[in-house]
Amino acid sequence: MEKEENIIEFRHVTKTYKLYKNDKQRLMAVFNKRIKYIPKKAVNDLSFVIKRGEAVAFLGKNGAGKSTILKIVTGVTYPTEGEVIVRGRVSALLELTAGFDKEMTGRENIYLKGQIMGIRDEEIHKLEETIVDFADIGDYMDQPVRSYSSGMKARLGFAININTHPEILIIDEALSVGDKAFRRKCVSKVNEIMDSEDVTLLFVTHSTDMAREFCHRGIVLKNGKQIYDADIDSALDLYETAINVKKKPDTKDA
Amino acid sequence: MELKNLVKDHVEWRHQIFKLAKSDLIKTYSGAALGWAWAIIKPSVTIFVYWFAFSIGLRHRGDIYGFPFFLWLIAGMVPWFYIQEMLTQGTTCMRRYKHLITKMKFPVSTIPTFVGMSKFAVHLLLFAIVIVIYFLFGEPFTLYYLQLPIYMLLMFLFCVGWTLFGSVLAAISQDFANLVKSFTTALFWLSGIMWPVNKITNHVGRMLLKMNPITFTCEGYRNCLIHKVWIWQEPKELAVYLVEIVIMWALALWAFKKLKKDMPDVL
Repeated sequence: MEKEENIIEFRHVTKTYKLYKNDKQRLMAVFNKRIKYIPKKAVNDLSFVIKRGEAVAFLGKNGAGKSTILKIVTGVTYPTEGEVIVRGRVSALLELTAGFDKEMTGRENIYLKGQIMGIRDEEIHKLEETIVDFADIGDYMDQPVRSYSSGMKARLGFAININTHPEILIIDEALSVGDKAFRRKCVSKVNEIMDSEDVTLLFVTHSTDMAREFCHRGIVLKNGKQIYDADIDSALDLYETAINVKKKPDTKDA
Repeated sequence: MELKNLVKDHVEWRHQIFKLAKSDLIKTYSGAALGWAWAIIKPSVTIFVYWFAFSIGLRHRGDIYGFPFFLWLIAGMVPWFYIQEMLTQGTTCMRRYKHLITKMKFPVSTIPTFVGMSKFAVHLLLFAIVIVIYFLFGEPFTLYYLQLPIYMLLMFLFCVGWTLFGSVLAAISQDFANLVKSFTTALFWLSGIMWPVNKITNHVGRMLLKMNPITFTCEGYRNCLIHKVWIWQEPKELAVYLVEIVIMWALALWAFKKLKKDMPDVL
């Protein structure tokens, strides 16, 4: 069955960031191998499989490696070691923006993003109205993105990503800035496309409520290692008791 | 092989490359009230200043090779404006387009290409103006003009190679961007833009100027417009330039291969 297809596979993936003392050292390191750096493992020997149609929340403190995992899936950053297999078109909302050009207007960004995704102009033209309606940011649609609030960016980014028929939808914190009404709209839209188009969802948030609304599976991370992988409720319980010391639901750790 | 990947990315993403070049061009000039006029005003002011300095102020530039100094000057300055844009704007292109690198999957090696194409469109506009000025000065169109696309293509190749090399290093370190910025003026004066290289008597100085790839480009444009020389009539200069292009691209591919995986983490 199609449901059983492995859409994302991580096999012993490690991502090491190189921390140099300063920019000069980093430039020198290009020409001289002996320049020292501090290796920082953001993701440490991680293996998991995600099947088509799953909705997975990645839980963990800041710096646990959640965003790095999503960036690796998106294909933006490369694993240092290990193998990653991604089968399907990824639509990602990384750190609120979907890769907007800040100098261009929201509408121009819809076209730009569509063109980069390889969608033909006529088709983008058809999608434009749906996206504009969904984002619902009014006159700001024709203003440069640099003038947007973070909420508006998230709205537009979400509207573009969800309406361009993604196979894998990645949402990194993006919904934490939206208001309640918009969040509800997103939840129902995500559920709709997950049912009708068999979309796979990867989700990062510090809000346990939202994780529960969207996902059925949770992976808990600590220092780049996976410490728990199960259904969302038990994963959230573990996250709240063992990792999140504050123990209060819906808190954002600093 | 890195070159194979680069070519493959360019072929696969050719439609997007054209679209992005267009949007880069629009973006550069749409923010200002005068918009497109700036593409002409800025170079005109620069040319006026140099013409004033050398024709009126220092008063030692009469005709060169029988051409008014002004005509000789613009033939060399217009390619320089392109090279200058690629040295300054090109070098910072990875930083300016970091949303394509850090927020989505995109063939990063095509960024210098579409930036180069966008600047090239402005270059074509300026060059069209140069042709009109020559015409107004009563210079007849000659067959030598036909080799201009060759010089343009060679300049484009060299500059995009440079930009790939420079922008990758500038993405890794801001120091490199500053380094390039401070050497841009030096490259201008140590080339054949402001002096007719073949009339320089100091042997070492002439050799150094001739080694500068910028000199080849400017002299190439003047070969078409002024000297009436075919490109193959100066085989030594052409050979040196082709070798320089190959070296530039070897460096660019080396730097890109080495640093492409680091770029998204640093930007």
